[in-house]
Amino acid sequence: MRAGSGNRGGRALLVRKLVLGGLGLLLLVTSGASFYRHRHLQEAVVLSPGVAEVKKLSEYFDGIRGTINDCNLYFFEGEEPGATVLVMGGTHPEEPAARLAAWLFAENAVMEHGRLIVVLSSNRSGTTVTRLGGAYPANFTIPTDWGQQTFRMGDRWSNPLDQWPDPEVYIHYPSGQYLAYVDIRNLNRTWPGRPDGTLTERTTYAFMELIRQEDVDIFIDLHEAELQYPVISTIVAHDRGEELATFVSMMLSDEEFNIGMEYSPQNLHGLSHREVGDYSDAISLLFEAPEPFLDATRGKTTREQLLTGVDEFVMKAGEHGLLFERIDEGGWPIDVRVGRHTSTVLQTMESWTILNPDRPLSCRGVPRYAEVIERGLGHWLHDPSKAAPGRVVTE
Amino acid sequence: MAILQTIITVIYYILIAYVAAILIWNLSKTRKWEQEVLYIIVLIPFLLRLFRLK
Amino acid sequence: MFTYAGIVLGVMVIVYIAAKSFKLSTELSMLAAALGGALAGGFGLPAQHIAEGAMTYLDINLIFITATLFMNILKDSGGIAFAVRGILSRFHRSRSLLMVLLTVLLLLPGALTGAGSVTVLITGGMVAIVLGTMGISKARTTAIVFIIAGLSAAAPPVSLWAMITAAGVNMPYIGFFMPLLVPCVVASLVTIFILGWRGGEIDLEQALQQLPRPPGGMSWLRVILPFVVFVLLILIGRRWPHDTPVIGLPLMFLCAAATSYVLSPIRLDFLRISRETIEQLLPLIGTLTCVGVLVQIMTLTGVRGLLAVTAVTLPVALVFATLFVVLPVSEAVLMWGAAPVLGVPLVLLFNTMGLNPIVALAGMSVIWPLGDALPPTAIIGRLSVEVVGYRDAYAKFLRSCVVPAVIIMVIGTLMVIFSSELSFLTGL
Repeated sequence: MRAGSGNRGGRALLVRKLVLGGLGLLLLVTSGASFYRHRHLQEAVVLSPGVAEVKKLSEYFDGIRGTINDCNLYFFEGEEPGATVLVMGGTHPEEPAARLAAWLFAENAVMEHGRLIVVLSSNRSGTTVTRLGGAYPANFTIPTDWGQQTFRMGDRWSNPLDQWPDPEVYIHYPSGQYLAYVDIRNLNRTWPGRPDGTLTERTTYAFMELIRQEDVDIFIDLHEAELQYPVISTIVAHDRGEELATFVSMMLSDEEFNIGMEYSPQNLHGLSHREVGDYSDAISLLFEAPEPFLDATRGKTTREQLLTGVDEFVMKAGEHGLLFERIDEGGWPIDVRVGRHTSTVLQTMESWTILNPDRPLSCRGVPRYAEVIERGLGHWLHDPSKAAPGRVVTE
Repeated sequence: MAILQTIITVIYYILIAYVAAILIWNLSKTRKWEQEVLYIIVLIPFLLRLFRLK
Repeated sequence: MFTYAGIVLGVMVIVYIAAKSFKLSTELSMLAAALGGALAGGFGLPAQHIAEGAMTYLDINLIFITATLFMNILKDSGGIAFAVRGILSRFHRSRSLLMVLLTVLLLLPGALTGAGSVTVLITGGMVAIVLGTMGISKARTTAIVFIIAGLSAAAPPVSLWAMITAAGVNMPYIGFFMPLLVPCVVASLVTIFILGWRGGEIDLEQALQQLPRPPGGMSWLRVILPFVVFVLLILIGRRWPHDTPVIGLPLMFLCAAATSYVLSPIRLDFLRISRETIEQLLPLIGTLTCVGVLVQIMTLTGVRGLLAVTAVTLPVALVFATLFVVLPVSEAVLMWGAAPVLGVPLVLLFNTMGLNPIVALAGMSVIWPLGDALPPTAIIGRLSVEVVGYRDAYAKFLRSCVVPAVIIMVIGTLMVIFSSELSFLTGL
């Protein structure tokens, strides 16, 4: 009798374990499949007629070859000679307007004077993961004239699947400055990088090699920032870029939208606006556009909020004077944020040309602020299925 | 240096696998349903990392 | 949005209370609250978010597991008993000196690693035994271990609250050393002297009789060498960060554990110790995993934003006056997640008010760890209770913490309010 009830108890225990284990397995498989799809989502880039060549970052530093961060470099050769400008998106892949603005260049730009190099996923590893605890969507979709295009949503840091473990404290090279341990995976804290460092450090080192070997004159790092962050809607310029940045800020604020100009702090290390300028001949500039999605006070975390920038909670913080950028019921739509970046890049080329007429930079085909808002950025994203053979690459 | 770093990362994966195995062992031994649920939820991140999914 | 997030928050609270009333553990009640919140928010049961939230503290769980494994190996080898007996025999005549030494022992591991749990796991148990022999009650001993462990986490060079918040506002982590060190050392000494001064004379004979006897062959070298390995690994990483690979805290603890295992004078069953370690830690790592899920769902549904915007839009005087409540409560719910959620907006708020953000953040960092004794997580509090072997009511342990906690709250709040006047600390 007792043995029988013992058997029944044992069987019930086993059944319970199997049921709970099955539910766990279901959670593992479902979430795992979603994470796998996110990491392996292919993003198509239809090459602009102006793209002369697509290279790999490893061509400038072999230490990055075969890694996830061996990203594409899009080279545009001008019809006439001039200076060289490098436009970088994807430093922080949780800032989509930065990548999308660079995308519009890759798919539409034609250089008339000078050379342009475009990067869409400078920290490609960071595009394959979303922030733990951040509840980000895995991707987002932009409506286009031919349908829609889906992009990976990313994180501020490289994926731990590509760089693990973290140290107990991150000591920046070469300054020796102490930074939060997680920032060893932050591409904008590891400049100028080192050849035998972590993946993220090797990536910035490879970019430094690209900048040095290609004699880049202007380096532009595209970003977005939360509205509660004081460095927003601005150009952060290295010492040698002050004149250019001031000129750009003045022209844009007069003709298109308000944008400030700030000096790169001398004692804040690892950031592109400081280190690229210090360790190469390039003028380094960093552009910040507003992204309410990043605010700690944001409401529901959705694709809609990411793309419209509409958020009642962030507005409430603004009403209390806690923000460094205005926000109203209209939010900060992705078209506005992308348009700010395309105009600022184009204006930088124009202002540079005025300051350096012997080494001009000019570009056509890329929409400015008003055009992006009027027609939507999707208008300038092209249908990969209609592209000429060999003119589509994936990110 | 890169090789050393790779070895360390591999050690971390072995550590993850070892902890996951112990979690499964303990899960099979416990008779309390609350502990079973906890073992399973704790196990998920270890397996996601072990299988290089997250 | 306010109504929506308010309803989701309400559902989460109701589910949590209901789960607790059905005698579910804190961990499972939080998981239930998270799932209830996701359902109420219209997200169903989002597998991606549940799993992603569960991943949040994977690395911290690994630290807990490897550090506890190390301590358990050391304990089973008789090393801890040997060390406690040694300290008592050498310093039992001077209570003050012993207390200062114990404070240093408690401050070091957390200061170096940024984790109060590491202090509790590495030196907490050993110090607790010494305190016990000094005639200090278990409740007060637990309070001493908990409070100084929290302060050790806030102490420099590694203070995660300060580092994470500084990173969130793009402020370099420099100038924090003295603003963090001074309050942490002062508050630690005040704590141990207030809670530990009263107590009987140490009866060395009796104390030594109560303590377990270490196996023959145990020596100071065998006890200290694993710690030396751990500290060396940290120091090597600090001294030559760019000539050595990144090792990470879990592997450092694992190396210390391996050293202790090899040096043990008796043969140890590694597999058994591993299984017991995981069983012992299940409530802790379970809590962290479930907190991760809870925070993820709070963020998904906007509940996190609701809490953050409510906190930062209170009148400034009220912000100052409620810091001592808001910070520990946010820590209790979000743990280090409180730094990006509340720390970032608060530091930006203080910065716009013209306060010194470094000193203000240091002041906040001293208050935050007090929340580690409060439910729902109470991670360090529960860990301290477990390591010290305190068996009485949890509320009684909390009552023992009140006096030093109030002193710490006052110190931290005054540092925020008078941060401009104290800005000279950043240059020291």
